Amino acid sequence: MAQEAIEAAGLRLSPQIDSLIRAAQGGDEDAFEQLVRAHDQSVLRLAVNLLGSPEDARDAYQEAFLRVYRNLHTFRFDCSFHTWLYRIVTNVCLDQLRRRKVRKEESTVVETSDGPVDRMDSVETESAHADPERKLWNRQLKERIEGALAGLSARERMVFELRHYEGLRLRNIGEILGTSEEAAKNCLFRATQKMRTVLGDCV
Amino acid sequence: MSCDGFEKLIPLYYYGELPPEDEDGLLKHLYGCAGCARELERYQALARAMDRRVAEPPAPLLEECRAGLMDAIHGGAAARREPVARSLRARLLEIMRTAIGSFGRLGQPVGAVGLLAAGFFVARVMGPAPVLAPSTTASDNPTSQVYTTVRSVQPDASGAVTIGYEETRRRELTGRMEDPAVQNLLLAGVNDENPAVRVESVDLLKAHANSGEIRAALMNALTHDGNPGVRLKALEGLKPQASQPDVRQALLRALMADDNPAVRTQVVDLLVSHRDNSMVGAFQSLMQNENDEYVRRQCERALKDMNASIGVF
Repeated sequence: MAQEAIEAAGLRLSPQIDSLIRAAQGGDEDAFEQLVRAHDQSVLRLAVNLLGSPEDARDAYQEAFLRVYRNLHTFRFDCSFHTWLYRIVTNVCLDQLRRRKVRKEESTVVETSDGPVDRMDSVETESAHADPERKLWNRQLKERIEGALAGLSARERMVFELRHYEGLRLRNIGEILGTSEEAAKNCLFRATQKMRTVLGDCV
Repeated sequence: MSCDGFEKLIPLYYYGELPPEDEDGLLKHLYGCAGCARELERYQALARAMDRRVAEPPAPLLEECRAGLMDAIHGGAAARREPVARSLRARLLEIMRTAIGSFGRLGQPVGAVGLLAAGFFVARVMGPAPVLAPSTTASDNPTSQVYTTVRSVQPDASGAVTIGYEETRRRELTGRMEDPAVQNLLLAGVNDENPAVRVESVDLLKAHANSGEIRAALMNALTHDGNPGVRLKALEGLKPQASQPDVRQALLRALMADDNPAVRTQVVDLLVSHRDNSMVGAFQSLMQNENDEYVRRQCERALKDMNASIGVF
């Protein structure tokens, strides 16, 4: 209905992106690079937040965009490019998350000669500045939150990331994950329930 | 519905994902149930805590990823990214090699002439420092910078060589903004491939958006330019013209199609302050599709002010 209203108003979503896709499908490498640059910041943020390490995020970024590069000719504009791209990105990240579940969750904290270092500290967070209260939060609540997120299934984790951090609507998340809006809704509910259980006493 | 049933709705309510009838039911229940109201507060606190966790990837990581991807695709991103001057120099060396190869067949003296010519060419392309035009009234001053591109090199049996080349002469124009020649060049600058030129051009033109041609150029930049900086500048220029129907249509197109939240946020503020009934459908659509909470709130407020329903049913 909303799409119909947009079309009725003579409006078209993302005409610039459409023309970039067409040019890239025709072999224009600059257009492909522009297409990547238009989307890759949010892709990398999703990968960093989901996978927890810059190295894994970099691998996921490369794997996802290489798949886009190889398969762009199959994109037929029957869904938005964003949805198509996120299907690829979420598949790559889900694969990584599932592999990690099999070999047990990796801690982001590694032992070094200077003592334990959190690899995620190399990633900028809102609390990166020297506010003592924030630093305390970093040490305690962050561990609890990471623990709570690690307790989610890969799919619950993905739905929560896409809804809470990427701000996507559940209907769109359903499309991306190849499921229904209702299933995405249930997944989000299960994820929030699990986190409430783990974090209930500290928020 | 029991408290358990309502509690299940709280996360969906928080994310604005409840159908209106469920939302009404939940709000009525929360009004009379302290336990569920506390549950909502706890969920909001959890969400705020989760908000503080989000990590923005550092810019160097993003650049590293981009370079790695282009390397993987092309097997040598560095070559694609070299600065323009270096590319020119590389092209020159290639031309020199080609020319010397040809001259080699003709004998050393001709090859030496070719080298001299190529050296002259290098000096010409790299050019002297830009000559500043005098800052007086509008004037059209050719500078000494000439950009030469060799298109063909044809030696013949007599020992002569025919070189086909193109010359581009750089010119400068200095004048005031009221000068039509200045405005025309800036209108051309709005479509330049260099985003820095586009930003500067739009920035200068935006104070003259009452002219139809400039307004059309700004609307085009707002809805079609690939660079958000250019679009934001165009938007600034269109603000005083927001009561014009064609400008409002362009704003509406930007609101529906622009992928940059900063642009959409500013556009929605402008549209809400110049709203009319023709925008109801678009605002309702945005209530369904828009991911940015601020934009949705502004649309909701405008729809309420216009006594229109919030959703599309």
